This record gives sequence, C-alpha cells and structure tokens, in this order.
Amino acid sequence: MSTRMAAPEPKDLRELGDRLDALQKQHADRTKAPPPTSMGIAFRFSTEMVAALVVGGGMGWAIDWITDRWSPIHTKPWGLIVFFVLGAAAGILNVIRAARELNAKMANGGN
Amino acid sequence: MAINPMEQFAVKPLIPLHLGGYDVSFTNQAMWMCIVVGAISIFMAIATAKRSLVPTRMQSMAEISYEFVANMIGTAAGEDGLVFFPFVFTLFLFVLLSNFLGLLPGSFTVTSQIAVTFTLAAFVIAMVIVTGFIKHGFGFLKLFVPHAPWYLLILLIPIEFISFLTRPISLSVRLFANMLAGHTLLKVFASFVIGLGSAGILLKPLAVAPFFLIVAITGLELLVAGLQAYVFAILTCIYLNEALHLHDHH
Repeated sequence: MSTRMAAPEPKDLRELGDRLDALQKQHADRTKAPPPTSMGIAFRFSTEMVAALVVGGGMGWAIDWITDRWSPIHTKPWGLIVFFVLGAAAGILNVIRAARELNAKMANGGN
Repeated sequence: MAINPMEQFAVKPLIPLHLGGYDVSFTNQAMWMCIVVGAISIFMAIATAKRSLVPTRMQSMAEISYEFVANMIGTAAGEDGLVFFPFVFTLFLFVLLSNFLGLLPGSFTVTSQIAVTFTLAAFVIAMVIVTGFIKHGFGFLKLFVPHAPWYLLILLIPIEFISFLTRPISLSVRLFANMLAGHTLLKVFASFVIGLGSAGILLKPLAVAPFFLIVAITGLELLVAGLQAYVFAILTCIYLNEALHLHDHH
C-alpha cells in the first residue's frame, strides 16, 4: 500500500478494489447464517417427525370419527391405522429432506 | 414468590372484558404483544427519522436488519420473492423482539404460547397457498405430485400432502418449544439458587454453582432467541420459494 498523496495510479485503485472485494466477502461470510447447534439440529428433526405423526394420526382419527357419525361406511379403525403409517412415512421424508438441506448448507457454508 | 417454573407462562387478564359471551380480556399476553410492536415501531421511527448518508448507530442497526432480511429472501426465495419483504421483515422482527424482550426478568414471552406461534405459522402457510394458487392456478397442486410411476403416486400423494400439512405444526412447535424449554430451565435453576441460598450454613456456598449456570444459560438463550427468529424467517422464505417456483424435491 502506498502512502503517496499524488493522484492515485490505476494500480493503486485496482489494489483498493481487490481489498474492498475481500472485505466484502469476509463480511458476507460473517453475516450469512449462524451455524446450527447440535441441539438445534436434534430439535429440528424431532419436531419434523412428531409433527408428521400428529398430522397423519389426527387425519386418520378425524376420518374415522366423521365416517362413524355421518356415513354408512364405517372406516374405524382403518383410517387411523393407514394414516398413522402414512404420517410416519411423511415424517421420515421430512427428516430426510431436512438432513439433505442441512448437508447442502454445511457443504457450501464450509463447516 | 412463585417457585412453580410454569407459572411464568400463565396468561392473566389485566382488564377483564366480555363481549357476546366471549372472553376478550386484555391480558398480559396482549400487553406484551403491544409492547413488542410498539418497541419495533418506535425503534424504526427514530432510526429512519434523520435518513442521513452517513448512518448514525440507530440507523445502521435498522439498515443491517433490513439488509439481513433482504439478503435472506434474495438467497432463499429468489429476486421475485422480494415482494414479500414487508411480510417476512415484520414476522422476523416480531419474533426476534418477542424472544429478546421475553428474556428480561419479570417479562412475559409472547412466543412461548403455542396459540401465538401457531397463528403466525398458519398465516405463513395461508400466504404460501394463496401465492401458489395466484401464481400457478391449479398447477400449484403439482407440488404434491413427485416424479414417480403412477402406482407409487397412490401412496406418494397422500404422503406429500401430509408432509405439507406438517409445516405449520413443525414451524410453530419449534419456536414455542424452544422458548418454553429455555425459560423453564432458567426458572428451575433460579429456584435452585433461592433454595440453596436459604438452606443451612453448609449448603449456602453451593448456591454459587447454579448462579453461574444461569449466567451461561442466559447467554445460550440469547443465541437461541436470535436463531429461532432466523429459522422462522428463513423457513417462511423457503416455503414461499416453493409456492413461487414450484421446485419439486429431488
């Protein structure tokens, strides 16, 4: 870095530009995303799984309840059984997606 | 002196009010929501009042939060996602400030109530569905149809549908449970300090241990408060991105 007070030369300007770019990149890296804590990851996966089970089971239970009351065909207990299993599958799908997302983030964020 | 660690989450009416058989009292919950919204409004009003070229400290705080959210939407939902900037920015600031103000001793954590977080999440999902249908019409339903042979689709469409329905639940439960767990933990350790401090002369010095633990956990809770607000906002962006661009999962 020169300390001359004369008119800046193109080389100096380019140097300054490079330094600004480097600083900006550093800044962007720092403000990008806070790294996920282990507890955060565990929490993320468990809520995905539990939420899917609750939604699946709830849907099955609701279907059974409705058909039991207002429909000539009673699905009880099959709605609950089938939708609970579907919910479990959806939960596993959610967890796999979350894990894949996390892997991608770790890969381009650089641990 | 409330020793019960769950006492802090109790919603108490401050101004009882009953309208048409419904209890619409002004509660501590409502008061703290007003405080959060008021604090954000005042902060933004003061920070952007001068609009100087060289920002003051307040102004640069506002600018940093603006840029942070704008970058987040840009990377997670693309440039055309920026129309949702006001929505995501409001959500982010509300959750962030609720989490932070909830850490003040004696305050009430708005986001520790599942009713609040679920309402926010339901609002996000409603926004996603409306956006999807406006943008793609019934083509939005392709979100539930992955690339697979038809005989697998019978199984996969219900699974995708359930997976979509879990979003508001996992979004709201994550925020609410994090806040609930953290604040309960703080209260439990705080009651250890009181309990040991008022015990016999031999046990008294031991009260220092949970005290230092509280200091450490408070630091952790600050991190969690920021992180959860970030997670809530970024997931909103990701869901909006799907509604805008119909990216199918691989």
